[in-house]
Amino acid sequence: MEPSGLAFLGAGLGAGLVALGAGLGIGRLAGPAMEASARQPEALGEIRTSMIIAAALIEGVALFGLVICIILAFK
Amino acid sequence: MILAANLLAPNLGLFVWMLVTFLLLMAVLKRFAWGPITEALDSREKNIQDSMDQARLALEEAKAIQADNTTARRESEASAQALLRAAREDAEKIRGAEVTKTREQIQSLQEQARQEIEREKVSALEALRHEVADLAIDAAEKILHENLDADKQRKIVHDFLGTLSQN
Amino acid sequence: MIFRRLQLLFVLMIAIAIVLPTSSAARSMQDHEAAQDAPVSDEREADEHVEEGDHEEEPAKFDAVHHNSDAYYLDFSPMPKLELPRIFVVRRADGEIGVDFFGSTHAAVEAGYVAEIEEGSHGGILDAHIVAGSGKILVDMSISKHLFFAWLSMLIVLGAYLPIAGRYKKGIGRDTAPKGRFHNLLESLVLFVRDDIVRPSIGPKADKYVPYLLTVFLFVVTCNLIGLFPFGATATANIMVTAVLAIMTFIYTMFAGTKDYWKHIFWPPGIPILVKPILIPVEILGLFTKPFALAIRLFANMTAGHLVILSLIGLIFSFADLFGPAVGFGVVPISVAFALFIFLLEILVAIIQAYVFTMLSALFIGMAAVEHEHHEDHGHDAEGSLATVEAGS
Repeated sequence: MEPSGLAFLGAGLGAGLVALGAGLGIGRLAGPAMEASARQPEALGEIRTSMIIAAALIEGVALFGLVICIILAFK
Repeated sequence: MILAANLLAPNLGLFVWMLVTFLLLMAVLKRFAWGPITEALDSREKNIQDSMDQARLALEEAKAIQADNTTARRESEASAQALLRAAREDAEKIRGAEVTKTREQIQSLQEQARQEIEREKVSALEALRHEVADLAIDAAEKILHENLDADKQRKIVHDFLGTLSQN
Repeated sequence: MIFRRLQLLFVLMIAIAIVLPTSSAARSMQDHEAAQDAPVSDEREADEHVEEGDHEEEPAKFDAVHHNSDAYYLDFSPMPKLELPRIFVVRRADGEIGVDFFGSTHAAVEAGYVAEIEEGSHGGILDAHIVAGSGKILVDMSISKHLFFAWLSMLIVLGAYLPIAGRYKKGIGRDTAPKGRFHNLLESLVLFVRDDIVRPSIGPKADKYVPYLLTVFLFVVTCNLIGLFPFGATATANIMVTAVLAIMTFIYTMFAGTKDYWKHIFWPPGIPILVKPILIPVEILGLFTKPFALAIRLFANMTAGHLVILSLIGLIFSFADLFGPAVGFGVVPISVAFALFIFLLEILVAIIQAYVFTMLSALFIGMAAVEHEHHEDHGHDAEGSLATVEAGS
């Protein structure tokens, strides 16, 4: 297999792993947030804000991984 | 140069254009749109708040006035009642006094009349006695003119009449 | 009510938004490999970019990435392409710096610029990399497709809000109730951004940042939605455009930063001295990763949806190529149904990503602008109490 093929493979696998990690992270974040907002609807706004911040941080890390994958796909 | 290369290719020209575009958009919007709009929204918000406050004040005022009115009405009703009661009591009192007075008058009148009657009766008796005595004397004189002196006869008649009046 | 739904969708969107680029990248790779495997012949693949009158260009293959990337023409297939002006800042052969303006790429090539058509590339002059015939292009200031649509968005936003502002000036909406659906809609957007995004995120100093965040929200949402119209392109699917927006947020964050904020970054209080060498670089890095992630997020989300739609449509041709035309026609309903689903999702993503971008910008500014008042928690010094006094005054 030629090296560029390996790079593509790495990019694809990496992208998948990134999606997996981010999905897990945001899932773990969003589930309790939903529960919390269901339990305390009056705190909805604060929960949403802090959830968005945390989701953004997780997503930020995921995006770094994604960028590495894109760079790999650059060849 | 495949796949993401095109998407991630840096393009200084586009960057500069976009910066200019965005700054221009923001400047124009800030100057001509957001300023007037937010200002208008704030003033509308203030207007609405003010009118709501005013309405609330007016409502409170109206309620206070209503309460005032109610108390005033109650007070006036009460005073009217009191007045009425006083008037009635006065009237009652006056009437009672009047009745007593009338009764007293009637009684005094009755008394007077009775005294008058008594007096009249006494004088009438007196007159009657005199009359009877005169008649008797006349009658006796006529009799005694014939046979007795007048003085002796009168004495007899008087004695007789004195026994009469005691009955 | 709507908000709760929005919240649910938002979480869904983020998850999908991360999954989409990956899946689309994989899909595009498939396409690419399929294209490499298949022999180049005239009846191969869908010739989306072939123009009847454009004989000088070779038949183009269906390329989702290419369709999404920037270009120097407006694509009205099957009608002819509309070329956009090219502007080059060049250093000429004699060392003088000048600006060349051409009405179109073809005009530039005729005037002596050279189109470097790649070996094995399917595009013509329009898709080629242009270099100067003599001298060197310093900056390519050409009006590109994405710039054109960014301008269109700008004009739409201006065209919507300037008349509304005029109405407010006249007193409609100020002294009376706002009249008309359009007016109400635009006003509710302004109020949404101001009261639901900016004010809760930034706090007492929010109103200073409302114009910027309003502009960002409306510009981004217009750009996002304009890309969903036929022949439209999403300007925010260009990393340069999102980079500009993110850099603006970065600059605002820098200027919003209080003394407290900087202190927390460069000398975090209440942290053991040994941990500080680890934490401080992380904090400084975090300063830059936030706007970077902001730019990449918007870019990736806007690109991914389009790529997936095009890849789904491309499946038709891939199947037709692999198993014959009959199978290709058979795949049509499935492909179109999926593409429609993704398209509807795209409408949501377009609005939600604009919301997220604005929300996060507001949050970053708010984090920088906040005056910390919990200094009692981590043993502080005189400076901290000074800041508390300032915050209190």
